[in-house]
Amino acid sequence: MSNPRIRVAVIGTGNIGTDLCERLLKDPKFEVVAFVGRRASSSGLLHMRGRLPNLLEGGVKDLDPLWSEIDGIFDATSASAHLEHWTIAQKQRKWVIDLTPSRVGKPLVPVLIDKAPSMRVSPEYVANYSMVTCGGQSSAPIIYAITKHAKLVEEVEISSSIASLSAGPATRKNIDEYIDSTEKMAMLLTGCSTVKSILVLNPVDPPVLMRTTVHVRAANFDLVQILEESRDLVSKVKNYVPGYDLVVEPHVAGSGQISATVKVLGSGYFLPQYSGNLDIINAAAVETAKQHVHLSRRAREKITT
Amino acid sequence: MISFYDVTLRDGNHAMRHSLTPEFVGEYCQIAETSGVWAVEVGHGNGIGASSFLVGKAKSDDWALLSAAREKLSKVKLGIHAIPGFATIKRDLVPAIRAGVDVFRIGTHVTEVSTAQKHIEFLSGENKTVHGVLMMSHAIDVKGLVSQAKLLANYGASAVVLMDSAGNYVPKDVALRVNALKKEIDVQVGFHAHNNLGVGVSNAMSAIENHATIIDGSSMGLGAGAGNAALESIIVNYRRNDVDAPSLDKFLELSYLVETKYPEYLPRTTSSSIQSGDAGVFSGFAPQVRQIAAEFGLSQEDLWQEMGKRRLVAGQESMIREIAQDLMNL
Repeated sequence: MSNPRIRVAVIGTGNIGTDLCERLLKDPKFEVVAFVGRRASSSGLLHMRGRLPNLLEGGVKDLDPLWSEIDGIFDATSASAHLEHWTIAQKQRKWVIDLTPSRVGKPLVPVLIDKAPSMRVSPEYVANYSMVTCGGQSSAPIIYAITKHAKLVEEVEISSSIASLSAGPATRKNIDEYIDSTEKMAMLLTGCSTVKSILVLNPVDPPVLMRTTVHVRAANFDLVQILEESRDLVSKVKNYVPGYDLVVEPHVAGSGQISATVKVLGSGYFLPQYSGNLDIINAAAVETAKQHVHLSRRAREKITT
Repeated sequence: MISFYDVTLRDGNHAMRHSLTPEFVGEYCQIAETSGVWAVEVGHGNGIGASSFLVGKAKSDDWALLSAAREKLSKVKLGIHAIPGFATIKRDLVPAIRAGVDVFRIGTHVTEVSTAQKHIEFLSGENKTVHGVLMMSHAIDVKGLVSQAKLLANYGASAVVLMDSAGNYVPKDVALRVNALKKEIDVQVGFHAHNNLGVGVSNAMSAIENHATIIDGSSMGLGAGAGNAALESIIVNYRRNDVDAPSLDKFLELSYLVETKYPEYLPRTTSSSIQSGDAGVFSGFAPQVRQIAAEFGLSQEDLWQEMGKRRLVAGQESMIREIAQDLMNL
């Protein structure tokens, strides 16, 4: 028997939320029950007109009559609004995928589920997962691949460059929070406390594709294993972010240093393809939801049989 | 009155591959205290908090350098440069306030001023002197430049400083831009030259003639790429026209100190700096270009040219290797 579809609501009708809806609509595993904004005139709601059963303009309270039809929510609003949404979701016993920079949920990078101890999916049905940042999502697989085959990791650095056009007002205003959030993920993943994250915006037209470079300093490492591991992880990330590529393979970049660079081309659901930075967050959100639901369904089956 | 802003101990740190020591900072600042400059800027070449594998690890951390400078400076102000995306309020600006910094310069790529809003608002809320710095200022038209400068003034910057980070300007470019800013904004206007084309000092003089009131320079021009405008040369030029100009003695003493202590780091205008300046590529890339060109057996000129085509901005140092790979695979 096939699994029932995952019924979700997307909150936040900006570019990210709209792209997420487009993505979910094309995925047979999902059913988008509602798209929730705060203004009837929001361009996201107008864009989705006639394509979704519930286009709601009164904020999250409009979901009240619908909760029984919803398994979980994607929150693409703001860090401050997320706190309120998480409180409501807990009351309604729903899982939440957080795409805001709130840092409330557990930082999660889908490809590392079942690999890194800090990235396990919760066995509890009600859970909150943070999609960290684009720098976090794009660097984590490489950081994992390098540090897994390195001894005594002394320093981890993540530097990303993105197209200016893909950085909205919120990203710009919260650049410090972006840095902090990316660094916290790297600390959690590696246990190393000397981490640094850098974000650079490039205004060139045509827009540049996102690049993320990871730099690790360690007492020693096995380059052959690192190469193999990172190629393998990159191919696995490609299952949910097809435009993710290793453009500079792990190499020795000075004594005790390994460096590698990835590039992210967006899938172009609603956002333009140069917005790989936004695409990777949305792709991670969808993948995390799948994995979480899969695991919690399996856990429930075990209890009932 | 011109405020001369000495960037030897910050931009010069680029030329020194970030090897500046607290000892040298102390020695330099002791003389600079009586040189007649308004402020001395200290720290990593890319500003405080920027020490990294990406743009270069500093030998001494910013706090050791700043405290060495603070000890020697009392009349002269202590300045820092900070770039949002590298430096954060909590990790870098708050400690800088505690370290006794007087002048805070917040720099962004010329089109990305909005990333500095929070930082400038925070500092002006703390009643600090804040300058907004437009890096790579050649990479936008004059209208765009003015609108970005207006944003900086609105956030609370008391000065807008044009940085010619690529060393792309000739004097008439400087005149056009300084004039436009003087006309359109109420805050002070500053200019920071790079000497890629060999006209750094002339550009600084052009800024002065067009009524910029903050002029950056460094002793012996010690700075990224082909270096900055040599402060001692700016002063000697300025003295020909202005009787209130500071006397030359201490500037020459500082220039002699740099020249004798670090002959190996003195920058100069070369064929490659002219090419990168003309192509409008960030001067700070020079060490990485040298290293990667040698590693791949490519000519530096080819690399600069391709980097110019792809219009890299400061902070994209890691792209240089990828570009070298692409050139090898052509």
